[in-house]
Amino acid sequence: MAEQTSTANAWPANPADLIPAGRKRLGWGLLAAATLGLLTIIVVQILYKTEMSTVGFDTWRPVIYAYILWGAALGAWQVLTRGEDGQRALFLLPALLFTIAMVIFPTLFGFYIALTDWNLSSFTGRRFNGLDNFWQMLADPYYRNALLNMVLYVLAVLVEYVVAFGLALLLNAQIRARKFFRVVFLLPLMLSPVAVSWMVGKSLMEYRFGPAATLARHLGWDNPAFFSDPITARISIMMLDAWTFIPFMMIMLLAGLQAMSREVLEAARVDGATAWQTFWQVTFPLMLPVSVTAVILRIIFKLKLADIIITLTSGGPGGATDSVSSFIYREYRDRSNVGYGTMLAMAYLIIIVVFVTWLLKVASRFVRNVN
Amino acid sequence: MRVDLYEKLMRAGASRRDVLKGAASMAAIAAASGAGLGALTRPAAADDSLRAKILQIPGVGKGQPTDADFQKVGELCLEATKANVKEGEFAGVELTFMGLNNQNLHNVLFRGFLKPWEAYTGAKISWIDLAQADYNARLQQSIATGTVDFDVIEMGAPFEGDVCGKGLTSEMPDWVKKQIDFDDLVNYLKPPVGTWNGKQYRVTIDGDAHNFNYRTDVFSDSELAAAWKADSGDKAGLAEWGVPKTWQQVQAVTKFLKGKKFKGQDIYGYLDAPKPWGGFGFYFLGSRATAYAKHPDDKAWLFDADTMKPRVNNPAWVRAIQDVIDALPSEPADQINADPNTTAFQQFLAGTGSMIPWWGDVGSNVKTNDSSVIGDVTGFSILPGSDDVYNSKTGKWDKLASGPNYAPNCAYLGWGVYVMARVDSDEKKKKAAWSAAAHLGGKDLSLWCAAYPSGFQPYRNSHFNIPEWVAAGYDEAFISSYLKSEADSYNHPNAAIEPRIPGIFQYYSAAEDILANTFAGKMKAQEGADAIAAAWEKLTDQIGRENQVKLYKASLGM
Repeated sequence: MAEQTSTANAWPANPADLIPAGRKRLGWGLLAAATLGLLTIIVVQILYKTEMSTVGFDTWRPVIYAYILWGAALGAWQVLTRGEDGQRALFLLPALLFTIAMVIFPTLFGFYIALTDWNLSSFTGRRFNGLDNFWQMLADPYYRNALLNMVLYVLAVLVEYVVAFGLALLLNAQIRARKFFRVVFLLPLMLSPVAVSWMVGKSLMEYRFGPAATLARHLGWDNPAFFSDPITARISIMMLDAWTFIPFMMIMLLAGLQAMSREVLEAARVDGATAWQTFWQVTFPLMLPVSVTAVILRIIFKLKLADIIITLTSGGPGGATDSVSSFIYREYRDRSNVGYGTMLAMAYLIIIVVFVTWLLKVASRFVRNVN
Repeated sequence: MRVDLYEKLMRAGASRRDVLKGAASMAAIAAASGAGLGALTRPAAADDSLRAKILQIPGVGKGQPTDADFQKVGELCLEATKANVKEGEFAGVELTFMGLNNQNLHNVLFRGFLKPWEAYTGAKISWIDLAQADYNARLQQSIATGTVDFDVIEMGAPFEGDVCGKGLTSEMPDWVKKQIDFDDLVNYLKPPVGTWNGKQYRVTIDGDAHNFNYRTDVFSDSELAAAWKADSGDKAGLAEWGVPKTWQQVQAVTKFLKGKKFKGQDIYGYLDAPKPWGGFGFYFLGSRATAYAKHPDDKAWLFDADTMKPRVNNPAWVRAIQDVIDALPSEPADQINADPNTTAFQQFLAGTGSMIPWWGDVGSNVKTNDSSVIGDVTGFSILPGSDDVYNSKTGKWDKLASGPNYAPNCAYLGWGVYVMARVDSDEKKKKAAWSAAAHLGGKDLSLWCAAYPSGFQPYRNSHFNIPEWVAAGYDEAFISSYLKSEADSYNHPNAAIEPRIPGIFQYYSAAEDILANTFAGKMKAQEGADAIAAAWEKLTDQIGRENQVKLYKASLGM
């Protein structure tokens, strides 16, 4: 039977096409007015605060009100121009407004501050100085040194991964007191890094009376001042940080191991594979997705390393243990150099974003190739 | 103490601490006893019963004071407040107080002192506690962002440029001046300190100068004396074993003591504090440098007074930096990681090292701090001098006809209590804030603070009455030596005065970081000094050179 279709009765492909043009115009007009109002208030306020105009508000509160009104207009615009689809989009509105206020605006403001000469003690306040901070950063040997230290700290994650995997395998095996050891191995993760710095770094590793120093003396190390030599200081920081965060990787890897199919392991055993072969040809490849996730998350944590360093060495001796975060922290805290400190922070943000994006690409390709 | 006796005690189970506590050798102190202090002493009078009473809380040698002691002292010292404030007069007033919690002192004591004040006046105080290293940053942020969220602040004179200079503080009312007996302050803490544009803003609660603390038992030890005599190294003019009088001698003694044992323990000489400490660590290089850099004919020593060109890279400062580099190998193994807190409270008080520059806290802690093992074996003097002093005007080293050049480092000029201008619009709140400040800066309460661990040292003429200290339980020779070192530092004609200019702690912090790298061997002394000078020049330009020159001159009284 021939289909009785009528083009006149067909529903339009896009439901928004059913919305009257007048209503759409109203929506667009409302959004345009709210946007114009918001931008006007922002510009007026900036001119007033920079003393280029006498018209403005004493506080930034009107800008916040205008922003909220703009958010409401945005919602109305969606509903007026897209109908039901617009109503559904309203659910995204709070998240959108929050992201603009808490992520996009601070980032843009941060980039602006990075282009200013702003020392908190200056009577003149903020002054735009273009790329001066950028050139200063490129010529800053201490910042370069901190970046170089970060490379070493990040590479240490590979060692942490090996240890964490070993512990995960151990806790996955049928050993005695397994539950007890799981709790014990997780304890460092529950401690604040600052507490770890004091309890381990300042007490256990104290060079005169600390048990670690005493043991080192017994083993023939004459002068076990762990934090006085650049190499041992760096290694000590890495060890303390590893001691704190290895449990994090361990717990992720343990979860991965326990989620693995037993049949696969049993099949390998039936085929006569040794434990070594089973690990390298079955367990390790199957664990790669979890491993990559654990390592990348750990690297992201590592890139923020600061608290242990600030507490124990303040970046010393001679910048040997400085991380970028601890260096930036001092630039802000000790020298109140907000403009330059923000330039360092923004540059580091870009480095991290680029590096982590590249890392994710490489890791996913690696996992695909192996599996 | 003889080695055989020491070993016998150790075998019997006595701790090193017990042994050191009992190993009093007061010969050096006795030599210093009372000298030069006669003018400052007076017999205790009957009307001093309150002062005598509070000094017995808890009593010297009876353990460290507790919060109950602070409250008791605060309660007993309320009379001055009662003369100006009626009971319950500040009911409903809420004040916010920002200060330090370093070493569990400062704010920790203020809380106790002010509890009886709160109970009497009806006001309520909430507290913002800051670590020493975070202090400058927190204060600068509050100022720059216009978010002064406190009514009263414990602050040092160096910050007056940043705070009073920006009109953020309330001017002291006359009744406060009377209540705290303003005229009792030692001369160097009188205006211009605590003032800005001629207005008084500060209730002084502390005086500051670095003095020289040394171990009397070490410097009177016969075995070390014999070894010194037999030593063929450079002695820098210290013919007989004894307390060094110049930095050249300090260096020689420090190198000599390397590897030596004293009472069965490793003994060290001078303790440097190379690790950054939020800007405050720079004072310790300053103390090594003042004798080289502060010429008696020139008030300026940190910057050129006409141009603000840094002097930190001149030969005097470079020599001081080089001294640290040269001394570090002879100091304890982990010294590169020692900040001033470590050197004073974890090393010197605990019996490590034999010489240390510090504020007066060492003197008030050796007998009263629970962790001190050197209460009976500590002596004091002004900072060592130098055989020659650098003349910035001629660019040459001068040898003075009068002998070594001494230049005590009046570092930081002491803590004060300041009331913020934000209370000025509310008379009741303003009076409450000033009353709290006056209570903390009271004459009698301040004596207690000087005598016990508090974070504060003597700063009034009335603090130098030795019989009061002796009645409290202090040994006369000890306290005479301590107070003499303080008085001689405050009143020294060639004292190196702290520059009260905006951003001074940014200068110090920038220097600290570069110094840490220099001490770690990453650059030579001159290179480090040049890097500091370059950073300081940039800061001066950032903050405003013309204004800095004007304020620097004013702070030096030029």
